[in-house]
Amino acid sequence: MYRYILKRIVMTFLTLFIIILLTFIFMHSVPGGPFTREKELPPKVVEALNKKYHLDDPYPKQFFDYLKGLVQLDLGPSFKYIGKDVNDFIIDGFPVSAKLGLITLVFILLAALPLGILAALKNGKWQDAFVMTLATLGVTIPSFVIATMLIYFFSYRLELLPTFGLDSWKGYILPVIALGGYSISFIARLMRSSLLEVMKQDYIRTARMKGQTEFKIVTYHALRNALIPVITILGPTVAGLLTGSFVIEKIFAIPGMGVHFVESVAQRDYTAIMGMTIFYATFLIVMIFVVDMFYLLIDPRIKYE
Amino acid sequence: MSKEIIVSPADWEPLDIENDLREKIWSTQRTFAEDVWFRFSHKKSAFAGLLIILLLMLFAFVGPYLTPYSFDTQTLDFSNIPPLMEVTNVDDNLFYITANLKVIHVGNNGKLLAALPKLKEDTAQKIIYYDFNGRELPLSYQKKPAAILNHEGKRLRRDNKVWNTSYWLGTDGLGRDLLTRLMYGTKISLIVALIATFVNMTIGMIYGGISAFAGGSVDTVMMRIVDIISTVPLTLYVILIMVIMTDGFLSIIIALSSVYWVTMARVVRGQIYSLKENEFVYAAKTIGSSQSTILFRHLLPNAMGPILVTATMMIPSAIFMEAFLGFIGIGIAAPMASLGTMCNDSIQALRSNPYQLFFPSLMICIIMFAFNYVGDGLRDALDPKLKK
Repeated sequence: MYRYILKRIVMTFLTLFIIILLTFIFMHSVPGGPFTREKELPPKVVEALNKKYHLDDPYPKQFFDYLKGLVQLDLGPSFKYIGKDVNDFIIDGFPVSAKLGLITLVFILLAALPLGILAALKNGKWQDAFVMTLATLGVTIPSFVIATMLIYFFSYRLELLPTFGLDSWKGYILPVIALGGYSISFIARLMRSSLLEVMKQDYIRTARMKGQTEFKIVTYHALRNALIPVITILGPTVAGLLTGSFVIEKIFAIPGMGVHFVESVAQRDYTAIMGMTIFYATFLIVMIFVVDMFYLLIDPRIKYE
Repeated sequence: MSKEIIVSPADWEPLDIENDLREKIWSTQRTFAEDVWFRFSHKKSAFAGLLIILLLMLFAFVGPYLTPYSFDTQTLDFSNIPPLMEVTNVDDNLFYITANLKVIHVGNNGKLLAALPKLKEDTAQKIIYYDFNGRELPLSYQKKPAAILNHEGKRLRRDNKVWNTSYWLGTDGLGRDLLTRLMYGTKISLIVALIATFVNMTIGMIYGGISAFAGGSVDTVMMRIVDIISTVPLTLYVILIMVIMTDGFLSIIIALSSVYWVTMARVVRGQIYSLKENEFVYAAKTIGSSQSTILFRHLLPNAMGPILVTATMMIPSAIFMEAFLGFIGIGIAAPMASLGTMCNDSIQALRSNPYQLFFPSLMICIIMFAFNYVGDGLRDALDPKLKK
């Protein structure tokens, strides 16, 4: 098992290195360089800027300097906002995004698991059909459509909830629903099919035969095993929340990292795009790693070879 | 319980030759394709999905030839006109008042005739005078909503509702026909999704096929690469590729098709791996077929079922991704429309003109549903074993 963990750690670092290298190559293959504006700058100015940001160094040196910065958690300066570092964007935005993401994650689990369990236990009845219809809707409707419809009905028509900002708890309701919609549907479906599968197993029949109550059968015997696929999907779910936040933060004007990222993309602020991409990617890969390790803990049957 | 079985001597007589026909299979034997079609068309949701896709194709590819407008025809006088207009009736002439206080003369059949020229504005009284065939038409904006005044100075209510027959789905903020833009948007989104899926399918088939067929260390290395790519958050990389290329049709296809082949490669590899030990492969080797013949003529056609299912499921995710990119502002370049950019354009005006967002959103949902149902149906039809 330790060998497996070690192997995973090595793989994680390799993946990170490849991501950094790829991002670096992408950002340095931009035609015209980072200082190409609509109004052309004089060549002298460009030269001075290149010198200031060490862009006249050979690429390998630039890359290793950048790596050195990364190890010291320094993502370099922004090219568009003079005097701002990319770190500032992350320090500003990430706590906001992370809080929203965490609340959404809790909401997803609180909503999806009971729905999935209900659908599985009432298999073939109207409750099942209801949950499955809801889940199909959630998977097929893009989050920005859900978000805008929610705003239109709950904020403009009924005037119940604020349209933007996170000033009070009310502000969280719509973004959380819109952000979580897809994952709730997906996890509810997964929970349903995996619980249905488990309930067919022999050990459930044995438990029934012993005269165990149905409630205990579901909670003690079935759920433990049925939850395993759900836990596997949590890593990608966190990824989905992050990228989903680009759209949701834009719609609800939430000052999170997603907004900074989309803005940097629109402004072609290359160092900011590069820094935030690497930050996102690192965060996600670490999350997937953590989920994998957690998975190892809860399922004793798995002994990774 | 016990019952005597009566056997008559006639039962021991030989049967008529005619009875051979009882053994004959009377129904025509179906080929595999007919079998798949039978299962597919008997699944209502899948068949409905297919029908909707055909209708959408008609809408997107034939529709643009039937409208009098183009995707970039602007009529600034007629901007932000909804499909269902609340109009004021002044002596049997209908007038629509826009949000920015213009008055448009509307025919009884719902055709938009002309925006009235402005005569003068009384800023103290908050009244704008418009010229209607030599008559003065006062528009008061003292109280919301703005209203036309009759000759006694009374506010006339907007109590008639007329469907807009010039622009059936209304116009956007630049006075472009929403229906026409929806057709072009659907067309672009469908083309992008179909081409991206096709490219991903081809790359995935070749990559996965070679990996499984070569086996050994080649397979290990190639799959390790796939593992690494699949842990990378792909959305970020699609965005990065879009940033370094210029906005446009080609870049979005390149961006979408350069990263999503990973799933396909895995599916193909799994299939080929299980197929390559079959007798027909040994037979092909024995008669001296070349490696590429075995891979492309024997193995891949046999794996076509799961490949097609995966490809069909890829189309909605490509549409989803295109809409997402358009929505965050890095999609098809203006003035061309895609469903995502149309949603993005209309979000600022959501409060006053919700219909501008409603139609493209609805279109995205319909496309997603249709392709998902077709994918489901195809999976069940091609491989009944896969059905859960």
